[in-house]
Amino acid sequence: MLRKKVWRSSLTVLLAGVLMLTGCSGGSGGSGSTADPEKPGDDGKAGESTSSQFVLGEKQLDFSFYGNYDWYTMPNWGADESSKWIKENKKVNITPVHSGGNAAQKLNTMIASGSLPDVMWMERGPDVEKLRQAGMLVPFDDYLDKYPNLKEWLGEAGINLLRSEDGKLYQFPNWYTSQPNGNAGYVVNKKIYTELGSPKLETTEDMYNYLSMVKEKYPNVVPFEPHLAKDGQGLNVLYTAFGEDVLNSYVGIRGVPEGDKLNSIFTDPAYRESMQYAAKLFREKLMSQDAMTQTADQVKEKVVSGRVAVLASASPTELGQLGHIQLSENDPDAGYFMVMPIHKPGLDPSKIMAGTYTQLGWNVSVITKAAKDPEAIFAFLDWYTGPEGQRIMMWGPEGGYWDGVEEDGKTPKFTDKYTSDAEGLVELQNATINLIWNGNTVYVDQAKAKFESTLPVEQRNWATHWQYEITWKTQGDGTPFINLDPMPDSEEGIIRQRVEDIFLESRAKALYAKNDAEVNAILDKAENDAQSAGYSKLLEYKTVKWQENLQKMQGN
Amino acid sequence: MSQISVESKPAAKPKKSGSLITRFARQWDIQLMVLPALAMIFVFSYIPMYGVLMAFQDYNIFGGMAESPWVGLKHFKMFFESPEFYTVMRNTIVISLLKFLIGFPAPILLALMLNEIRGMAFKRIVQTVSYLPHFLSWVIVAGFVMSMLSTDNGSLNILMQKLSLIDEPLGFLSIPEYFWTILVTTGVWKEIGFGSIVYLAAIAGVDPHMYEAADMDGASKFRQIFTITLPSIMPVVVIFMILAIGNLLTAGFEDILLLGVNPVLREVSDVIDTYVYRIGIQNTRFSYATAVGLFKAVISVGLLTIANYIARRSGNSLW
Repeated sequence: MLRKKVWRSSLTVLLAGVLMLTGCSGGSGGSGSTADPEKPGDDGKAGESTSSQFVLGEKQLDFSFYGNYDWYTMPNWGADESSKWIKENKKVNITPVHSGGNAAQKLNTMIASGSLPDVMWMERGPDVEKLRQAGMLVPFDDYLDKYPNLKEWLGEAGINLLRSEDGKLYQFPNWYTSQPNGNAGYVVNKKIYTELGSPKLETTEDMYNYLSMVKEKYPNVVPFEPHLAKDGQGLNVLYTAFGEDVLNSYVGIRGVPEGDKLNSIFTDPAYRESMQYAAKLFREKLMSQDAMTQTADQVKEKVVSGRVAVLASASPTELGQLGHIQLSENDPDAGYFMVMPIHKPGLDPSKIMAGTYTQLGWNVSVITKAAKDPEAIFAFLDWYTGPEGQRIMMWGPEGGYWDGVEEDGKTPKFTDKYTSDAEGLVELQNATINLIWNGNTVYVDQAKAKFESTLPVEQRNWATHWQYEITWKTQGDGTPFINLDPMPDSEEGIIRQRVEDIFLESRAKALYAKNDAEVNAILDKAENDAQSAGYSKLLEYKTVKWQENLQKMQGN
Repeated sequence: MSQISVESKPAAKPKKSGSLITRFARQWDIQLMVLPALAMIFVFSYIPMYGVLMAFQDYNIFGGMAESPWVGLKHFKMFFESPEFYTVMRNTIVISLLKFLIGFPAPILLALMLNEIRGMAFKRIVQTVSYLPHFLSWVIVAGFVMSMLSTDNGSLNILMQKLSLIDEPLGFLSIPEYFWTILVTTGVWKEIGFGSIVYLAAIAGVDPHMYEAADMDGASKFRQIFTITLPSIMPVVVIFMILAIGNLLTAGFEDILLLGVNPVLREVSDVIDTYVYRIGIQNTRFSYATAVGLFKAVISVGLLTIANYIARRSGNSLW
């Protein structure tokens, strides 16, 4: 009894101590962070630099950078050869602000506490629009003519598309392009394919027969791997097989254009047919049975160990390249290759687009009003997206993988090291790829492809080779379909969220359907549910936005 | 008589001698120790409570509360009228009841069983092994579970096929009927050891003389468990039960979010907390999410009060 009491009171003291400690540290942490945010200063420098050109490298430029993605951790600036060179020669230092795996929450906290970083890297759309409406972003219009790279490489039409409702430009695009690019398509396991007698793989029927053969002969191999099917991926690629000039963006925007109107995705014949096909593959165990639940790591493991016969996803080239290198190391006949997108029998194969690209590319960087010298930051971003910046980030500082430039003053002259030290280059690019926030697709692709095409096939980079041979030719232009989403707290936004839930659930259910009729029944029900949630109103909203995009692309 | 009420007697004694203030003055040194805890609760639990006002506004993150318009009960009405309301409430109640009915007694059972083990070394090992999972984050646990239950090459499927229990591998994480079982089992596996610590401590406080007396009277081991151990730890059990009932609407969040990735499971996996996360954080509808959260909190306080009221009649209440 007594012993227990002593124990208890000592525990109380301990608890009180712990509480005091945590109370203290909590308090000091709080006061430290509230003192942090630096208010934009109206110092003379800003006024001075608007009248004169900011020259990169003349004076030190420091800014903070936040990537608004759960998965994104910015590598340390200066840790690799390329950014080290920029840090030393251009006097640019960038401090990362990390999302800590919870980007949405981090962004909201920064907004609410008024401690925004200088530059934010995020998706186009409602988040950017919200920040703009609150007057937190710096417009670029005054800088566009002074720093010419963005204007030159993106072009006037692209800039118009990116402009916000007030007519100003607030966003700096990433991997924007004026020519088709993208990686979506089908990657095929070479060894299994040759051992099965290299059958024709052109139509959906060929594919079905081939996958059945794989299942019979290789019980431990996943015949068709759709990657993370809950996000679309391989299912979206299959969708494109069932219609000429059909874009997988239609699935993404949950609307199918007909004339100048967007219609329901649930009633789209191509979508229905593709879901019936996918459900058949799933039912007959020709598709990964974990398609809806697996993680990216599980997929990677299967591909790299050669246990996948056909892989389809939005970007199968990275996994394909990784798997190809691993498998062909021990056995030169093993590895992966890509095939032209498959199509439903009777359709014109030249009109099948396995993926989409948009001229605006992937995402954008915005400069917030927290930045002390936004013009200097813009000057850096503009240099970064230009030939010199891209060259250094993609292929390291001069004197390594390249030396000097061609007559055009842009294209690097690649050295022998580029082919002899492919591994070192991959390592460098693995480090820099997450630092390229303003990728210039046309410049990089042209420089790369021009050089690679002069090499014999064995020496070519696997991904570049198949991009050049197949994927770039088979991606459709999805530019008109960007930025169709309403603000989340608007009436259409609330409808969108419901339709989104209904869509995701119906697609998963349809995949598990026992027959074609059940697929139809599930999609019929989804259509009804969506309509009663106000789907047609959402489609009307999106139609208007889409038409606006088309007008902007034609020059206002 | 139970341990807790025996302990509380000395404190209750000086009640008659003097007013509240003199009593407080006499215990000033002890009261001082409570202060930091009170301050912390005030700072971290009471001050942030003003945030619930958001539920009655159309909150604008840029303007803050001062500039957001008041809209009354709009968001509550929207939640009650939304098509998700029924599914979300049903799942929340069913999952939390299952967790309560299975997850609550499980650690008590483990504590009772551990208490009967004679070999000290073995007992320690079991204890350590059983409470290790508590320290793993859900991300890791979900990773284990997903790879164990996967259809292609999942250990459970391979095992069941080797034992000829099934012919074809099953997609455990894609079948809605299995989801609740998987969720509750995983939760019990993760928390059973850690939950049993407090009961083991309570059992250790039971007067050994009672067992000796029972032994002499010829009571079997089982009899002793039911007539001595269980009644002795009952106050602790009741208090934890009241707390658990207060948490009844907290069906879980991370576990459901991580294990229920397949959209096909949404009908059985969407609970209040995942719904709030999806709407509030991912779709940035803060006011709506706050209203739903507030609704949950109000119900929880109600449940807690009722549970306490019932417990008070048995003499073991929280307050």
